[in-house]
Amino acid sequence: MAVKRQISMVLDLNKCIGCHTCSSGCKLQWTNRNGREYMYWNNVETKPGTGYPRNFADMGGGFDADGKLKIGKEPGAEDYGIPWDYNYEEALMAGADPWLRPHVKPTWGANWDEDQGEGEYPNTYYFYLPRLCNHCENPACLAACSRNAIYKRQEDGIVLVDQKRCRGYRYCVSACPYKKVYFNEQTNTAEKCIFCYPRVEKGLPTVCASQCSGRIRFIGYRDDEAGPVHTLVDKYKVALPLYPDRGTKPNVFYVPPLSPPKIGADGKPTGEDRIPLAYLEKLFGPGVSEALGTLVAERRKKAEGGASELMDTLIGYRRDDMFKVG
Amino acid sequence: MTHAATMLGVLTLLSAGPALIPASAMAAADDDVIIAEPNVIRVLPYETIPVGRIPDDVYLRSTNDPDDVIWERLPEYRVHVAPAPVVHESVGLRINYADEGQALYFTPARTSDRFYVRLRWRDDTHDTVTLRDRFRDGVAVQFSLGDDTTSYIMGSGPDEPVNIWYWRADTDAFENLAAGGARSLTMLDEQPVTGQSMYVEHTDDPNEWTVVMSRPLEPNGPHQVTFDRDGPVPVAFAVWQGSAAERDGLKDTSTGWIRLDLGAD
Repeated sequence: MAVKRQISMVLDLNKCIGCHTCSSGCKLQWTNRNGREYMYWNNVETKPGTGYPRNFADMGGGFDADGKLKIGKEPGAEDYGIPWDYNYEEALMAGADPWLRPHVKPTWGANWDEDQGEGEYPNTYYFYLPRLCNHCENPACLAACSRNAIYKRQEDGIVLVDQKRCRGYRYCVSACPYKKVYFNEQTNTAEKCIFCYPRVEKGLPTVCASQCSGRIRFIGYRDDEAGPVHTLVDKYKVALPLYPDRGTKPNVFYVPPLSPPKIGADGKPTGEDRIPLAYLEKLFGPGVSEALGTLVAERRKKAEGGASELMDTLIGYRRDDMFKVG
Repeated sequence: MTHAATMLGVLTLLSAGPALIPASAMAAADDDVIIAEPNVIRVLPYETIPVGRIPDDVYLRSTNDPDDVIWERLPEYRVHVAPAPVVHESVGLRINYADEGQALYFTPARTSDRFYVRLRWRDDTHDTVTLRDRFRDGVAVQFSLGDDTTSYIMGSGPDEPVNIWYWRADTDAFENLAAGGARSLTMLDEQPVTGQSMYVEHTDDPNEWTVVMSRPLEPNGPHQVTFDRDGPVPVAFAVWQGSAAERDGLKDTSTGWIRLDLGAD
């Protein structure tokens, strides 16, 4: 879907420390009320892991090779995790209950398998994957909506759900292969990440990017050759979309994680990457190997005292250089 | 919403039914009658049927009581509803072509100032919630604002719209909507349609929903059906089965229009 400009985000997974400050900021700003309590428009999940909602990547959606919509599943409450709260007042203030307890029995949550990862000691591995709506170039949610309630803004490519047009059919929820459209049971409408468009319109970065303590996020327009997104995605090709095989052409990109080496039986590094390349390629497509190669080469160059535009961009010395929104 | 309630209403004999062939006498391929129903009249697309008249001296204890005895005194019709034609890919992905449809029973009626329609259909599952992965039952009555050349599939564009009265089982609310073609369904500013629903769980027979909806004959805003007109009022029906995840165009609809003759005031 051609738009005049496309705002995009790059997340450097080598810098993500899994602190959830992005999710907290997003939640406080947008989703801690009015039927959105269970929603994380932005979440951080551990990979390998089930993700949020649980096993979302196996729920279908997106497009097939011929560009036809693929049917998907609408996740249930348990797949997202039912939010629980504690009886702070009774247990800690009034003393009416000797126990601090959740008001529903927790059985699953957005980070139930946090830091679990895979592999056997000493070759265990995991990394964090923050996720938000990809504001796709070819949004499956938009294609699936039978009411034209979802639209992609011409001026910045942000994908939005018109809350007045939406009648809660949930085709979008099942069509999104990333499960980043949520159904609000109170309003009976679909809701999703709005890329903080009221902030973007004022030249400010999204809350998730602004709050990020690891400074892993970069925002810019794809056609801004002086911006970080163009540099990382188009010039150096180190930032890749998640699940490119789903056919939606995401506008959120990830710098794939480099690995420490595996440790052999003799306790020495083997030179083999701890995170299997096949796993990363499953997530980020065939460009992973080249991207990791470029990262290693540029990092070495920088470490040896040379100049590296790529490393300087990824380090993000100045906040203004990380967010080219205005 | 009334659940398996039985109430007695006022007994008054009303106008006789039309001279159409009783359902029991028909033996068409799509005949979906599963129980004997000698008093139900089968209606086919584009037939004209008279609207039952509730005399003004009949006192309705509650305006939309689906279990009022008045409904036993009015002619009831049966129409076949089957999966609606697919107009969007999302529907095409999910439509169940094996669904042969079902019978929808309806009773149109009027007083001197109000139009009623009572709808009754078999539904084994009582789907009254809308959750992330659960869908509600529903029923709708669609009126052409023009004549029966308007498309019965949500109207023929903005110049030939339809008025839709929709009942949803989750909130038990009645919505007054308009559409001018697929994708254009819009909630109207004025909401004069009222109604009441009842779900009956039978021990031997299938469970069923009964819904009554009504509106003053006089419209109170744009895109509302006008009953005061020269010709008959074209009407069509839709039923949504929540347990089958039906919503939007995933629904059973009647085919074409049925023409309602409201008679003289």
